Amino acid sequence: MLKHGSFWTVSVGPGSQTSLREANAARVIEAVRTYGSITQVELTAVTGLSQATISNIVKRLASEGVFRTENTIRSGRRAQLVSLIRSSGLLAAVQVGRRAVKVAISDFSLNIQKQKVLPLPANHRSDTTLDRASILIVDLIDQVGGDVDGLSAVGISLAAPVDPESGEISLPGILPGWEDLDVASVLSRRLDRPVAVDNDANAAVLAESRMGALRSIENGLYIRASHATGAGVLVRGGVHYGLRGVAGEIGHVQVEPTGLICPCGGRGCLNTVVGADALVESLRLSRGYSSLSDVIREANNGDLGCKQVISDAGARIGSVIADYAVMFGPTNIVVGGELATTGALLLDPLRDALAMRPLVGEGVVVEEAELGQDAEIYGSLYLALGESRRPEGLESSLTAPAMEKVRGS
Amino acid sequence: MRTPVLELSHVSKTFGAVQAVTDVSLEVFDHEVVALVGDNAAGKSTIAQMVSGAFPPSSGSIFLDGAHVTMNSPRVAFELGVATVFQELALCENLDVTANVFLGRELRGPGHLLDHKEMERLAREFISQLGGRIPDTSALLSELSGGQRQCVAIARTLVANPRLLVLDEPTASLSVAQTADVLNHISGLREMGKGVIFISHNLPDVRAVADRIIVLRHGRINGEFAASDASYEEIIAAITGLVRTRD
Repeated sequence: MLKHGSFWTVSVGPGSQTSLREANAARVIEAVRTYGSITQVELTAVTGLSQATISNIVKRLASEGVFRTENTIRSGRRAQLVSLIRSSGLLAAVQVGRRAVKVAISDFSLNIQKQKVLPLPANHRSDTTLDRASILIVDLIDQVGGDVDGLSAVGISLAAPVDPESGEISLPGILPGWEDLDVASVLSRRLDRPVAVDNDANAAVLAESRMGALRSIENGLYIRASHATGAGVLVRGGVHYGLRGVAGEIGHVQVEPTGLICPCGGRGCLNTVVGADALVESLRLSRGYSSLSDVIREANNGDLGCKQVISDAGARIGSVIADYAVMFGPTNIVVGGELATTGALLLDPLRDALAMRPLVGEGVVVEEAELGQDAEIYGSLYLALGESRRPEGLESSLTAPAMEKVRGS
Repeated sequence: MRTPVLELSHVSKTFGAVQAVTDVSLEVFDHEVVALVGDNAAGKSTIAQMVSGAFPPSSGSIFLDGAHVTMNSPRVAFELGVATVFQELALCENLDVTANVFLGRELRGPGHLLDHKEMERLAREFISQLGGRIPDTSALLSELSGGQRQCVAIARTLVANPRLLVLDEPTASLSVAQTADVLNHISGLREMGKGVIFISHNLPDVRAVADRIIVLRHGRINGEFAASDASYEEIIAAITGLVRTRD
């Protein structure tokens, strides 16, 4: 099985023939995954391995059912085209953020064959974005050498709370222009495939609970610290949605009773303090930065002002999580989203804020998302698999009607 | 205060009796993408050509890193750290990726022989810095997609380690997937600390990666917007002249 990073964690002694072979195989698999489909000659160029080594590795992995090879023509010569094998059909995942849409294509074993990020303007329009996302899906399927007929379902996650009943965004103002829109049926009409929709942090907590840091955890929390902060809540091993899907919207917990008014209408929400606008604004006068990626990059480069801003954000988020943890007692907290790429800069103050609380100070594990920046897209793939969206109160995933919320055809 | 990488101060350009650009002043900083938008004949490409040294302004001054410069040929501009990718990419179809990246600026190793290994390594490095995906740098250009060609054209400019890049309509006539690639390349340039002038008709593309948007109308600046909070409507109003800052 080609689960996340499995080939990197093979337990053989360093320096041995076997470990060298496994490392080479891992390089080849990584390259095939990056390019979708690639010829053997191109593989030698990308990996720096010899033709013979590539040929052996490809042959072995093909016989083990990892690769699929087919004959093609490159530069007028016959060539062997290598791609990851697809168990049966394809799934597509779409993650709509505030400034980008990410699209991934995978097989039913959730091996991502290809993914692409399209940067988007602030306040992007739903019609343009969904249109471009569906064209990207078709484009990417073509690039991995697949057929659109093989696409089974699509999962889409949004950077706003989604009402599990209606499939619509349940709070206006958070993703402007996307309210009152049945996203799943719009996308389903364009692609003529069933589509499942959910909040991005909920998708991420689902993925982390199936294949990441929350595996076999009963009660956990996934924090998505990005342009805005949100959370996915894991209760008794299942995603908890609550009233109209707002469970885990920690970005809208009040932290400043006399603070700024949030787009949601509340006063002093966590997002007004640690949202991208607030972080960038606090550095604009002294640094002249204009985007969240600037703040993250310079913090990682050691700029004191940016480090300060990130660690203060970690402390504020931590204090909200601590309140939450006292009430609900999660054993594990996983942190993802762009801010998490600063590592300890964000996580240490967040841990400190938790450690200050007597009831939850000890024993709560706080770590980075194991799936990193891909947690949301893996979660969207699970949505496509139709495994999420189990009705409230049901405990076993097996009893959930497979495509319970799936719309369309 | 930071010194802008590029500053145009009251720049005008006339071609005979035609005023192509009138009294334009603008600044571009490092780590910044500035978009120039406007209708046809608004003066976008004229500004690009003045910045890239194709012809000097009729009046006004150009500053690079605060120093007054006179750029009367593209070579001078290039040596001063301004690289331009024009709409027609000016690449050689019959050469491979590495040869295109280093065309005219080939590296020589000991004994004045071409250092193919080093050129290939660098070409690979430039392309990956841009977030590009070209598996084989010995592939002929004629085998590449539109987005990949754009990536080679931008990688080509990185050879001289420029401070400012001018990209003229880089996403015109590309598919959505290729547009995504090019927009990621532009973000990559910004991350590398370059100043970027991004000329385009496509407002979603421009608003996706630009920090500031400067609207040109009949050769004059008719509005400047922060990309994060300007709406389509405001920008379009400035392009079409519904709103005018001056006459």
